[in-house]
Amino acid sequence: MSTKLEDFIRDNKREFDTDRPSAGLWNKIEAELDKKEQLKKKHKRMFNIQLWAGIAASFIVVLAVTFLYVIPAKRGRLSVADVNPVYAQKQVKFVSLIEQKQDSLQAFAKTNPELYRKFKADFEVLNKTYEGLTKEMAGSPNQQMVVKAMVRNLEIQIQLLNQQLFIINEVSQYKKENSI
Amino acid sequence: MEAVYIDKNIDLVNACRKGSRPAQFELYKLYERAMYSAALRIVNHEAEAEDVVQEAFLDAFLRIGDFRGDTTFGLWLKQIIVNKSINCLRKRKVEFTGLDGVEIPAEESADQEELELRVEEVKAAVQGLADGYRVVLTLYLFEGYDHEEISHILKISEVTSRSQLMRAKMKLRNILEKKGARDEY
Repeated sequence: MSTKLEDFIRDNKREFDTDRPSAGLWNKIEAELDKKEQLKKKHKRMFNIQLWAGIAASFIVVLAVTFLYVIPAKRGRLSVADVNPVYAQKQVKFVSLIEQKQDSLQAFAKTNPELYRKFKADFEVLNKTYEGLTKEMAGSPNQQMVVKAMVRNLEIQIQLLNQQLFIINEVSQYKKENSI
Repeated sequence: MEAVYIDKNIDLVNACRKGSRPAQFELYKLYERAMYSAALRIVNHEAEAEDVVQEAFLDAFLRIGDFRGDTTFGLWLKQIIVNKSINCLRKRKVEFTGLDGVEIPAEESADQEELELRVEEVKAAVQGLADGYRVVLTLYLFEGYDHEEISHILKISEVTSRSQLMRAKMKLRNILEKKGARDEY
């Protein structure tokens, strides 16, 4: 139905487009375009600020990582006290004991150079293990255990030195008796 | 058939992409009539039609980067106009369905040829239609949308779109016939 009407409209579509907006409409559109362009420029400048803020932020992150992880890691290697203060006291005591005993042993070095060299080598094996534990401590998930092992190591060092002193004493005693 | 669009305004559009104000003005001059008329047919209110045209041109110029050139600039702009016009009607809370009272007759054959059609009269008659009828009729006859597209754009069913169009055309004929009858006496 109404095909005539449909055809008429379809054929004369352009004739229907006779209405025009008021003359000032373009000025309104132009003003809006200007406003948007200015906003865009401002946005661009803002973007630059954001860029610099981003650079600053990443710099801060790098600094933070340095302070939070790298420096404590270095420090952690030095102090047993951070992990366990009781063991730290023991450590100090043992280390001074070991130094004393090493000095005593040193006294026999001249009379028994061969034996002293062998004892020294034995001691170094233990000492190497101790140093390895010191390095391991900072990165270890169970620092308590490492510290425990370190103190145990020092105890063994003392026991070893005690035995060495005993033996070297015996030997020099024997030598002295024989030389008389 | 696959339509091949040759946009005669391609140079103006490209200039617009670079933000050329004179090119924007040229395009505005070229399309202001067609776009305003289309908006006016849908919203049926001059000030609102102008707002629609202003917003549509602004959108088109600011989002010209989105225009891929798979249709002509004119068709692309028309799409924006139609969408904005419908949104404008939505704000006015126009119902696109639920207009009833007119029964759909089986077939109407008589008297068709006697009606002398004039552009101005048809235009006035279209303006006299209720919002729901006018929008469907405009989209179908003037903008060339099919019922599927109309159902999408107005969020109504295709059946509703068909019946609305049928009623709109009948109503339009009634208005035109009355007008013709008045002119005779």
